Amino acid sequence: MLLALLIHLVAAAAAPALVSRLDRYAFPVLALAPASVFVWLLTLGGEVAGPDAAVRTETYEWVPTIGLEVGLRLDTLSWTLALLVTGIGALVLLYCTWYFRAYDPALWRFSGAFVAFAGSMLGLVLASDVLLLYVFWELTTVFSYILIGHNPERIANRRAAMTALLVTTFGGLAMLVGFIMLGESAGSYQIDAIMGLAPSGAATTAAIALVLVGAVSKSALVPFHFWLPGAMAAPTPVSAYLHAAAMVKAGVFLVAVMAPTFAEVSLWRPALLTLGVVTMIVGGVRALGQHDVKLLLAYGTVSQLGFLTAVVGLGTRAAALAGLAMVVAHALFKAALFMVVGIVDHSAHTRDLRKLSQLRPAMPWLFGFTVLAAASMAGIPPMLGFVAKESVYGAFVDVVADGDGTGIGPVAGSLVLAGLVVGSLLTMAYTLRFVWGVFGDKPGVERPADLVAVPVGFAAPTAVLATVSLVLGFFGSALTDLWAGYDHLFPPGVHHAELALWHGLSPALGLSAIAVLGGVALFVWQRRAQYVPTAPWMPSAERSYEAVMRGTDRLAVEVTGRTQRGSLPFYLGSILVVVLLVPGTALVLNRTWTDDVVWFDSAAQAVVAVLMATAAVLTVRSRRRLKAVLLAGVSGYCTAMLFLLHGAPDLALTQVLVETVTLVIFVLVLRRMVPYFSDRPLTRARWLRVGIGAASGIFASGIALAAAGVRIGDPVSVEFPESAVEYGGGHNIVNVTLVDIRAWDTMGELSVLVVAATGVASLIFLITGRGGVQSPANPLPSHQDTGRWLRAGRTLSAERRSIVFEIVTRLVFHTIILFSVWLVFAGHNGPGGGFAGGLMAGLALMVRYLAGGRYELDEAAPVDAGRVLGLGLAVATSAALAPLAFGGQVLQSATIDLHLWAIGDIHLVTSLFFDIGVYLVVFGLMLDVLRSLGGGIDADAEDEMPDLPGSYTDDESTPMTGGAR
Amino acid sequence: MTADSAMSFLIPLPVVLALLGAGVCLAVGHNARAQRVISFVVLTAIVGIAATLLWAADRDGPQVVYVGGWPARMGIVLVADRLSALLLLVSAIVTLSVLVYSVGQGIIEFGRDTPLSVFYPTYLVLVAGVSNAFLSGDLFNLYVGFEVLLAASYVLITLGGTGPRVRAGTTYVVVSVLSSMVFLIAIAGVYAATGTVNMADLAVKLQEVPEGVRVVLQLMLLTAFSIKAAVFPLSAWLPDSYPTAPAPVTAVFAGLLTKVGVYAIMRVQTLLFPDSPLSDLLLWAALLTMLIGILGAIAQSDIKRMLSFTLVSHIGYMVFGVAIASDLGLAGAIFYIVHHITIQTTLFLVTGLIEIRGGSTSLEHLGGLAKAAPVLALMFFLPAMNLSGIPPFSGFLGKVALVQAGVDRAGWLAYLVVAASIVTSLLTLYAVAKTWNRAFWRPRTEEPDEVGEWVPSTGTKSGEPWGDTVTVTSVRSLPRAMVAPTLTLVALGTALTLVAGPLFGITERAAAELRDRTPYIETVLEDGSMPGDSAAGEVSP
Repeated sequence: MLLALLIHLVAAAAAPALVSRLDRYAFPVLALAPASVFVWLLTLGGEVAGPDAAVRTETYEWVPTIGLEVGLRLDTLSWTLALLVTGIGALVLLYCTWYFRAYDPALWRFSGAFVAFAGSMLGLVLASDVLLLYVFWELTTVFSYILIGHNPERIANRRAAMTALLVTTFGGLAMLVGFIMLGESAGSYQIDAIMGLAPSGAATTAAIALVLVGAVSKSALVPFHFWLPGAMAAPTPVSAYLHAAAMVKAGVFLVAVMAPTFAEVSLWRPALLTLGVVTMIVGGVRALGQHDVKLLLAYGTVSQLGFLTAVVGLGTRAAALAGLAMVVAHALFKAALFMVVGIVDHSAHTRDLRKLSQLRPAMPWLFGFTVLAAASMAGIPPMLGFVAKESVYGAFVDVVADGDGTGIGPVAGSLVLAGLVVGSLLTMAYTLRFVWGVFGDKPGVERPADLVAVPVGFAAPTAVLATVSLVLGFFGSALTDLWAGYDHLFPPGVHHAELALWHGLSPALGLSAIAVLGGVALFVWQRRAQYVPTAPWMPSAERSYEAVMRGTDRLAVEVTGRTQRGSLPFYLGSILVVVLLVPGTALVLNRTWTDDVVWFDSAAQAVVAVLMATAAVLTVRSRRRLKAVLLAGVSGYCTAMLFLLHGAPDLALTQVLVETVTLVIFVLVLRRMVPYFSDRPLTRARWLRVGIGAASGIFASGIALAAAGVRIGDPVSVEFPESAVEYGGGHNIVNVTLVDIRAWDTMGELSVLVVAATGVASLIFLITGRGGVQSPANPLPSHQDTGRWLRAGRTLSAERRSIVFEIVTRLVFHTIILFSVWLVFAGHNGPGGGFAGGLMAGLALMVRYLAGGRYELDEAAPVDAGRVLGLGLAVATSAALAPLAFGGQVLQSATIDLHLWAIGDIHLVTSLFFDIGVYLVVFGLMLDVLRSLGGGIDADAEDEMPDLPGSYTDDESTPMTGGAR
Repeated sequence: MTADSAMSFLIPLPVVLALLGAGVCLAVGHNARAQRVISFVVLTAIVGIAATLLWAADRDGPQVVYVGGWPARMGIVLVADRLSALLLLVSAIVTLSVLVYSVGQGIIEFGRDTPLSVFYPTYLVLVAGVSNAFLSGDLFNLYVGFEVLLAASYVLITLGGTGPRVRAGTTYVVVSVLSSMVFLIAIAGVYAATGTVNMADLAVKLQEVPEGVRVVLQLMLLTAFSIKAAVFPLSAWLPDSYPTAPAPVTAVFAGLLTKVGVYAIMRVQTLLFPDSPLSDLLLWAALLTMLIGILGAIAQSDIKRMLSFTLVSHIGYMVFGVAIASDLGLAGAIFYIVHHITIQTTLFLVTGLIEIRGGSTSLEHLGGLAKAAPVLALMFFLPAMNLSGIPPFSGFLGKVALVQAGVDRAGWLAYLVVAASIVTSLLTLYAVAKTWNRAFWRPRTEEPDEVGEWVPSTGTKSGEPWGDTVTVTSVRSLPRAMVAPTLTLVALGTALTLVAGPLFGITERAAAELRDRTPYIETVLEDGSMPGDSAAGEVSP
């Protein structure tokens, strides 16, 4: 069976290529796929059908975790459906050969999708795992979406495709949940296991209800019937297939599969019988109102699907047999009739029955086969449709008589039966309308002018299907035997059900007669009265669907407008509010608070803390940017002070350096910004913000208090001092932590510095449109005068120059650089380290820049900052990797003791190399920041204000220095 | 004995190699070709390493390395268990594909004059950060991992420095900094209470912390990660910041960054707070994230924005699985993460191609792509259906596992979330089908009334006819180097269906490992409790 599916898959995949070779003659080749499976299925008939039917199964593992497996089974029901799917599929593919124009450019897509659709439908009827069934179920939905949208140029087609997709997927998803509920209670997703569940209990009932939503929506029952007529947008071969054998039959099939067990579920029969009968009547009435014969047939399908569902869903042995016969009959005649519509459309170029006239002489054979198929649809002997319908009536007459094991009372049973008869009456009427509409001679209507002759091959599939409808009508008892494998799943009924042309003078025959004669009368009356039912009294499901979709769209816009404000303050506020509401509430509910609160260790701490808090408040209150930055700096320095008071000079040193650098950078940036913050928000919003901010602060303090109060043991850091010396080979715990114990963190943060620096540089570059920010600017022109103390000193204007500053810079620069290098080496034991060293070197650069401008900076460091950064990162990571070569672990350090002549003993820890990387990265960062935020912005400013005093320009015609002015 | 597991020396390499590559990339400066080669080599190596780690972790249990040889409680440990290794592998494959794509896009998107040199090193740092976050066995180092990936993402999101990107970048940076602050406060609280940041150690010690405080710490961590993962109501920043970035950047962000947040939620929930699942809270978060996110997607008329909202929405599925916290729920969530990383990245890459082909990502300007670019259409359709949870694709399989877990849990709230997940699935299909109808089916020049006036776009409007030649010609107008990796990812996303059985097997074992906790804790602590076993060998007394 898997092979059968794979054949379809291969054919679908090969279809585009075939079409590009053979054009529309690819279709007969493609038809071989379903045809071969059809033949293979026929050979299995003796095994899986008949009174001694056996079930053939195949199972392949797929996703055992979720109970999804490629489980396939062939029993009487699925065998019958599979024959329809493959047989009609093959015929429709043949039909396509003539239906499509030569060189239709979208044919490659169509052919692939169609074969895949057929394969999906085959998979659906063969699946023995409900999840697998769902897989194929949705695949038919998706492929039908593609097929319905075959001509997507028209908006109506696109809409129809979308409607079909959404409606059937909606039902499908409901069904999926139902399946999962069933599968989880059964412990397996095998249909057999699920059928073993007791048809009672709230969970099972709910699950079955969900499954039925899927079946009802797929089979286009009220209230989901509207998608099917819209699906007429598809090319006619698709309609023929979709209405007859595939897609819509899936719902009926599912009902048929589940009926043996779940017909006993309390809501099953009321729901299916009601919906089925209502749909049958609604569809029939609608069909009578159509002028487009294709649409007429589509509503006819809706009507028939209601009929089929009601019969198959009844859940008695007689109804099961009748239902299966009806399914087959319907597939045969509906496919034939749709094909007729396609042929007529092709020949006469219209499907409007008001314009079709006098076609019989042109296509007499086609007319004959149409009448045969139509007779089957209307239930006229000796067609299969009549045989099936007779049995249906018989089954329901039994129900009216004594319930036939269904528990349905005589009144309800009679109502259903009456509804079915009325539906059949309507069927007869619209059948006549169809035949008359296509082939009837209408007074005053000319025969369509450019009538094209019908090729034999084009009509052949119709002929085959109509003939089969006729022939099967004579094999009632054989069919009864054949389908025993299915109807014996139900308990025996009051009468032995049998398919036959002649049951004797039974009530069923009378009902058939009523339906046929009534239908004729209705048709005649309708023609006389020119009555076209518009059915305004019916609530339009289509309109409801549109209202739902519009409502969803509106809801989406509303909700999104509310939540997606596009305002950063709003987002920040909402995050803080969540923090306050969620962890904040938990903190308020916390009952474990320590009484042992030490407010401060020394008075100095308290003073610093107050200072820090005050600075923070003032920062937020300040209107001037510079003031805010300076005040934030105060907070930072206070932090350093706290470190110092705690006895951590190293941390304090680093913090001070960081604060200084940050301040300078801020000031460099602020030069180019408006001095004041933008306008403050309105008072109320401001108080809200103040409130959120203050509450957040209190909350953070609360966490600190609560968490520290419950400390459950010594922190790991108490072991650091000892371990730092023992394993890290250094006395400076902070440094050992940074470059050894937690060097992995440091390495990560290094990369943060690198990307931050390069990123800022690149942004400044892009915004100022200035090249080479990362590399030194043009060197000083050689002919220029160089300054006495600093080479580029003269590039600055006189107002900005300070000789004293230049002299001091000249004197201290190299000293600082040396000191910074020393810090790196000393860092492992005393205060210092690569980070502090790098910052120190950066400060030296900064001094050069401040004293001599950006050209001086380039003189001081004639290297590309990006390269320094990269080199630093490469050095650090190489140092991290190096131990691997010696059988160690990444970032593992070793101690090397060297005896060098003059310097004495050198105690070298390999983590030093890592620290050198740190140094380089920090140095590169500083260089980068000074170049982009300092030099880059300088240059930008000069470009914008070239005439201002003190500006420097490369132009030789202007005086070089402001001093000359 | 060796303190480290067999494959442990590999564990740090994804991070170190990426950073080394970044450093070398910068050091070679403006040599774009060298940068490309380095990046490609490094990322390929990471794919190999990650695959090996996954194999080892699946066979032998969690792989642990004590960085620098420091014992577990003191130094930093990196752990590659099944979850970490799996996500590492998927992210490595995805980042490699996106790298190739961005090489193809290079000239078009970044221009000849812009500092291309920043992209590759930054991208490698991003990879390092993501890898570090997945591998870290240390809460503070997890923070560092986040910082690394965030810092790199700040640079990438503003790449090109256009006004909208800088604006979007501002939102992104400020929100991210706030989330980091929340995370940092949480870490401070955790350390204050327990005196350790080693996760295995915390797993033991947090049990001793009084429940009131523990819940506060847990909620703080969850809040911080939820911002990063874009869980409603902490998600609004995402659709405002992602879509403006260049296509490959958005793609990799959408695929990976939020998943790192989800990963963190999952890790913390299972390892640190196993007895306090906070299921109801998370279920509500999942429900709202799914629904509000997908409603946002419906309201969009731009493909990138639409996809950004589906991204938010589908984070809800993963949170759903974490909230259920059963084996199946976690397995489903992990599977969904794998699926979603692949698919969301693919879709953004395809959108980049659409932008090149159609000159826009706005549904109002696009049209007729199914006819003009059938292969592109297929490349959109498959992952789009996958995203919508259409079977037999991976999105469907993940969803089934989650719904099963929800049904197993029972209770009205679980059913409500199941219903929400189904509605979300349907609405995702709606959003995607709307995109398909408009961009691919609607003819370009007709019916302008449907969604506003059609504005002719610049660029590639080659007039291929319908027909058999279309299949080949249309792709030629797109850079091969962009199409090839996209196709690879499309194929990968589709192939997830075929390998779903074994993949689900791994996620199921990963979930069991998460719930069991002991393998993780024991591997880290038992071996590591002997201080400096291997370190001592190296250090001379």
